[in-house]
Amino acid sequence: MTMSLTTPPTTPPPADVEPARPPARSPRRRSLRSTRLPVALLAPAVVLVAIVSVFPILFALNLSVHETRYTEVEDFVGLQHYAQVLGTTEGWAMIGRSMVYVLGSLVLALPLAVGLAHLLDRPARFRRVFRVLILMPWVISQTVAALLWRWLLNPDYGPLGLGSLGGSRVDVLADPVLAMVALVLVNVWLSYPLATILTLAALQGVPAELHEAAEVDGASAFRRFRSVTLPMIMPTVFVVAIMLTLLYFNMVTLVLTFTGGGPFNATLLVSLEAYQQSFSFFNLGLGAAYSVILFVFNVVFGLAYIKMLRGDRDA
Amino acid sequence: MSHGRHRPAGPLAYVGLVAASVFAVLPLLWALSTSFKSKGAVLSDSGWIPAAPTLENYTKVLFESQVPRYLLNSIVVAAGSVVLTIVLALLGAYATARFAFRGRDASLFLILMTSMIPGIAILVPLYFLAVRTGLYDTYAGMIIVYTAWQVPTVLWMLRGFLQSIPGSLEEAGRIDGAGDLRIMVQLVLPLAKPGIAAASVVAFVAVWNDFLIASTMVSSDEKRLVAVGLYNYLSQYGIEWGQLTAAVVVTVIPMILLFVLMEKRIVSGLSAGATKG
Repeated sequence: MTMSLTTPPTTPPPADVEPARPPARSPRRRSLRSTRLPVALLAPAVVLVAIVSVFPILFALNLSVHETRYTEVEDFVGLQHYAQVLGTTEGWAMIGRSMVYVLGSLVLALPLAVGLAHLLDRPARFRRVFRVLILMPWVISQTVAALLWRWLLNPDYGPLGLGSLGGSRVDVLADPVLAMVALVLVNVWLSYPLATILTLAALQGVPAELHEAAEVDGASAFRRFRSVTLPMIMPTVFVVAIMLTLLYFNMVTLVLTFTGGGPFNATLLVSLEAYQQSFSFFNLGLGAAYSVILFVFNVVFGLAYIKMLRGDRDA
Repeated sequence: MSHGRHRPAGPLAYVGLVAASVFAVLPLLWALSTSFKSKGAVLSDSGWIPAAPTLENYTKVLFESQVPRYLLNSIVVAAGSVVLTIVLALLGAYATARFAFRGRDASLFLILMTSMIPGIAILVPLYFLAVRTGLYDTYAGMIIVYTAWQVPTVLWMLRGFLQSIPGSLEEAGRIDGAGDLRIMVQLVLPLAKPGIAAASVVAFVAVWNDFLIASTMVSSDEKRLVAVGLYNYLSQYGIEWGQLTAAVVVTVIPMILLFVLMEKRIVSGLSAGATKG
């Protein structure tokens, strides 16, 4: 399930997806007799995941097509809840805001991560110190990050609060546009470390000879990076991109604590609304509908990514 | 390794690194600074170094609040989840990396799909499930849910890691007549240690910082986890920034320590799996 950040908090999609290809180095196919062992080894994981993830999503699907009053499930209402989301301008405005949030964060976080990973890959004095410092936000939870940044941006007391600019008081969290900008910034702050560390790990797998060859050819540093290094780590960059996208689209805690959806719903995202409908307003049916919409989006996007990766690989 | 294959970083690179470090660490430094300010100073003293530093916030947080209890709960739940996750995921990773069997690809696909399920989608059903099975408000309930949440990621991580280890050692062991169990424990496990270390840290951090599951599965104060405890602290005291930042510092320090100690392992553990990409 995609949820919080550190772990990048959400469960990142796997680093390699090959549902139909056997591993390159596995021993030759084993006889039927020994099929029982691997199945037995894998079973506990599959069973646990099925019970805790698959069953509840079916339950949620059921909830989403019923009228609910608090915890009472009542009449079947078909797609009425979905119509409330997908059939209204407010619903689509929410989806639009989610898109802005996701894209805005991606555009900032991904290049930042790749760039920093590259910098951290080169020998440098105090490299270890830099690594630890730069990756620090990873261990901070969304809640803590939201609270800290709220304080930092406080117009009256925060060191980064804009206070009075040109005579009028500027409160970042009270301005619809600025609030979204600030939200994106905090999100980037929280999420770039994991993206960086994954990209860095991939960079360390790039063979040294390739770099040396390019250096000998006399290409500029940027050129070298673009033509040699980048293509080699593309699969990982792809994975990181999809991981971040899923993370951002499903993020609740940060938005909840930082802006609460405000001001005036300016930062009310689909994910936050799903949470609020269920837990603040107790419209379980409607909340479940939002959740299912999120799920569908995740799957669509996830499959699109797999397709892109396959295509990239076969190219 | 990577040393000597690039030209060493030029001054521009250092500028970038320093800027990034400042960006990363700024809010944390501010929290540290604020935590040493008294209630009045929090609002009036806007300097980075407190004019009149005090330990009163820490005293309140460490001795007069529930934060230590929350810390204990988080340690128990996070550690328990990580151990269980590693066990299940390692077995599954070994099974899918070393063997080909019917249903393997389908299972892997299923596991992949479950990581597409948004957390919020299953919160409400999980709540019902927990209440009905009596696991609500228990360590066991949280550990089970967190484990199920982390297993897909960790399984894929470990699988990638195992696939980058040649199977020749195990083949040799098999020829010598060692049983599967012995092979796994004596040959594979030691080799997989870096991958396990990396995956453990990733999982631990995720569980430690989670808010949604923790707030859904628990209602009593004595089982509350740190992430939720901080949030309630906020509304309970109407944002007492001095105490809040002290609590934040106290709860973040274990994570930072863990991170500093394991940093090298994490990168190397991840890169072995990443080369499979």
